[in-house]
Amino acid sequence: MHGWTGNILRVDLTTGRAWREDIPREVLHAYLGGRGLGVRLLRDRHRLDPFDPDLPLIFAVGPLCGTPAPTAARLTVVSRSPLTGTVYDCSAGGRFPWRLKAAGVDVLSIEGESPQPVVLAISGESAELLPACDLWGKGVHETVALLAGRGSVATIGPAGENGVLFANIMMGEGNSVGRGGLGAVMGKKRLKAVVVNGDRPVTLLDRKRFDHARQDVMRLFRASPVIFGELGIAEYGTPALVDLMRQRRMAPTENFRRTVFDGAANYSGPALRREYRPKNDGCYGCPIQCKKSTPQGEHLPEYETVSHFGALNGIASLAAIVRSNTLCNELGLDTISAAATISAWGEWRGRFPTADEVPALLADIACRRRDGELLSLGSRRAAAALGRPELSMSVKSLELPAYDPRGAYGMALAYCTSNRGGCHLRAYPISHEILRKPVATDRFSFSGKARIIKIAEDTNAAVDSLVACKFSFFGATLEEYAELLAATTGMEYTPQGLKEVGERICLTERFYNCANGFTVQDDLLPERFFSEPGSSGEGIEIPPIDRARFDEELQKYYRIRGLTAEGVFADADFLVRQP
Amino acid sequence: MRDQIAKYTAKLIADRAARPDGIAFAAQDDRLIADGNPELARLAEGVLSQLSCLGLVAACPALPFADFLVARAKPGESTIVPRDTETRTFLHDIPFLRRTELDSDPAPQIARFLANRKGVVVEGVGIVASGAVTVEQAFINYCSVFHATFVKYLRDLLHEGYLIHGEAEAVREFRDQWLRPLSAEGLVSRHGSLVEPAEILAEIETVGRYTVERGLVDSFFGNISARAGELIYISQTAASLDELAGCIDPVPLDNSSTTGITASSELLAHRRIYEASGAAVILHGHPKFAVVMSMECAEENCPITDCWKECPRVRFLGDIPVVAGEIGAGGLAKRVPPVIGGPGKALVYGHGVFTVGRADFAEAFRAMVDVENWCREEYFRRLAAV
Repeated sequence: MHGWTGNILRVDLTTGRAWREDIPREVLHAYLGGRGLGVRLLRDRHRLDPFDPDLPLIFAVGPLCGTPAPTAARLTVVSRSPLTGTVYDCSAGGRFPWRLKAAGVDVLSIEGESPQPVVLAISGESAELLPACDLWGKGVHETVALLAGRGSVATIGPAGENGVLFANIMMGEGNSVGRGGLGAVMGKKRLKAVVVNGDRPVTLLDRKRFDHARQDVMRLFRASPVIFGELGIAEYGTPALVDLMRQRRMAPTENFRRTVFDGAANYSGPALRREYRPKNDGCYGCPIQCKKSTPQGEHLPEYETVSHFGALNGIASLAAIVRSNTLCNELGLDTISAAATISAWGEWRGRFPTADEVPALLADIACRRRDGELLSLGSRRAAAALGRPELSMSVKSLELPAYDPRGAYGMALAYCTSNRGGCHLRAYPISHEILRKPVATDRFSFSGKARIIKIAEDTNAAVDSLVACKFSFFGATLEEYAELLAATTGMEYTPQGLKEVGERICLTERFYNCANGFTVQDDLLPERFFSEPGSSGEGIEIPPIDRARFDEELQKYYRIRGLTAEGVFADADFLVRQP
Repeated sequence: MRDQIAKYTAKLIADRAARPDGIAFAAQDDRLIADGNPELARLAEGVLSQLSCLGLVAACPALPFADFLVARAKPGESTIVPRDTETRTFLHDIPFLRRTELDSDPAPQIARFLANRKGVVVEGVGIVASGAVTVEQAFINYCSVFHATFVKYLRDLLHEGYLIHGEAEAVREFRDQWLRPLSAEGLVSRHGSLVEPAEILAEIETVGRYTVERGLVDSFFGNISARAGELIYISQTAASLDELAGCIDPVPLDNSSTTGITASSELLAHRRIYEASGAAVILHGHPKFAVVMSMECAEENCPITDCWKECPRVRFLGDIPVVAGEIGAGGLAKRVPPVIGGPGKALVYGHGVFTVGRADFAEAFRAMVDVENWCREEYFRRLAAV
């Protein structure tokens, strides 16, 4: 078999047992890897509570991992989110996925709960649990440094250990498995880290065909202004979007009360370049290298992080924002949810935090002490506990990122239809509504958006299962990646076929969520977006979203997906018919 | 979506990319609709219902070149492989279905091809192209296939001559009746330096529209800019030249803002041309005869095979310099600026034309017309000698 190893490494932390099993070929072909495979493997456990020891935490690579396919040295971690209650996945790049695949497995599935802190060390064919009491309580940087000699590291910080509902799993090179709190799931299992150092090569079936497809991808990258343009993300990182979001008047400011922040220029892409002279520090094997760090190696924040620790909290100090980012990385906190939760709390108390107050707040959240105890639950639970649930700018409890939905109606819909909650990456309509890729759509219109969102969700589910980076698709398309996949595996996939795989994955996720009680009531934006305008000006009107039109488009989406008006499945046997 | 179908049907007619009576679109949101030529509309509906795409167009090209390419293809071949940059980059190749291969209901066959590519040539039926996200995207993909087959066919003729019955007559009719004289006469444009932002935006919109209206370029292919002080005003990526209102980015020369991340992929080329030539405006388009002729090279036994990106030479077509270089960050921005300053025009291998105006767009527009006219004339001169 080419592309896949066909193996799953199962680890039971309760018993300390580790063993390998075969993965049926038809399952690999039907779900690819990464997100799709992880979601499939949750089939019998999707009703379990996120902190139930029997719920697996699944690390899954894809068939392109380990090959020179651009941006494909990635994995997806899948489980159920303690923050949202939904099925959850998040992808991350770096050497860890490549090393895991090189250890001869497509999937690492971890279940059970260790009686004491442990590290899972995978070396070649062997997997062992090492005592980690001395690592428990340590920050991410120190943990990675102490384990680096054993291979590539994925670890939690104090936030994951303490069960913060938006705790990340951090990769040794600074990438994060973020948003939904899978770090807390790992912490509950008392698994401090996984370290892996496989070294098996991945074989390609047809090298010549692969190289041709790779050249096609690279040509499209070079033709893409967003990727390799002189103002694109390869040059400036994702903070290249700061100026654009300011100009489009859709940068969430002060807990989404406004959509323009006057201090945004302080943390734009050019400002970061001017102040830090950053170097490229992107994912392993990625030609884009959108992540940037200081010459000393301190990771610089991405767009979402600068905007939410900046505009969303009314902070214009770049140094303070960089400090917040570094602290979140060290503590293992998701930057978007941390900043958004602090912002909601700031609105509740009538004052957003000063730049100097943020570091202590973050430390308190990670350690769940003082105000941090409440904030560690995320904005929805915190706002509800404070008696102001409307202040949580979240969907399905997942805090919204830095694209105000009043400035992009496809984004508004996609936040709600996303199976993991208020996420911009499931359908990524910013690509066409703002960045004009593959073609531009009218950002202030719902027309056609239900179908567009559905297609994009399916496409991105396939991308997340290859696993490739979504930024690739600012230039390339599934056409080129289907060719890479065919050249690697010998299986003749087409873009249409990959979208059908993606559809299967999206519907399976939705089915799991519905089984756990999610309905149309959960596919809803916060009321603020329907009743309050954004910051109009410079010839751009940012009115509230038309609720009736939003509801109409959501119902269209349900019809396209084959769901009922309640957003659930009429067919209770849907899952039974899936491979 | 019906308004989009009406809009792009009208554009196909205005661009003369399809026969007015041979156009149909289909689009699906929560239900599927189709409109246009009834037979093609049924086909479009049947194909789209099998695809995860929003829009689809099925139309008869205004010229028979795509069908000729299929008829000229060797037995066993199933794709058209053009060598122009645009097609190679975005379409890779174009599959075709021969008339003899068509089932009584060809929709499933066509859908299978479109499962893997953006457009397909169906002999005797036309070009069918899909749009994953919008109706406009289907229109763009149709135009890309039309452009690719136009360029490929004319180039093949130069190298292989007429091979099948009816070609010579069709090409004669194409030359004598279909082609229209290209001219810059009668256009109203501002003379002298452009200074005020509103004036610059208006002028870019006007000139962009002229390039399409005069038949120099298809609406989707090209970009345009003007420099004013420390700003470059440039059309956005994926913008139609005849619809530039609201699609022009002001980009600071010192890169102090990244708002222009949505600017044309040729921003870097424009910037370097301004730096190298002192030009005030730049026009870039893909006039078809210029694209065809840019790929003609007299060099024999040349070891370079990937001419479009590897050729280091500056060749000349008349007084027009021709250089290699792929789009965006692919090398074009390095090779065009050194050669465009003197003649005010340059051709990029298999891609298109850049022209500059030292003061205004009138000069750049005239230069582009002259390049295409020269290439058209030269093309037919060479074809006559085949």
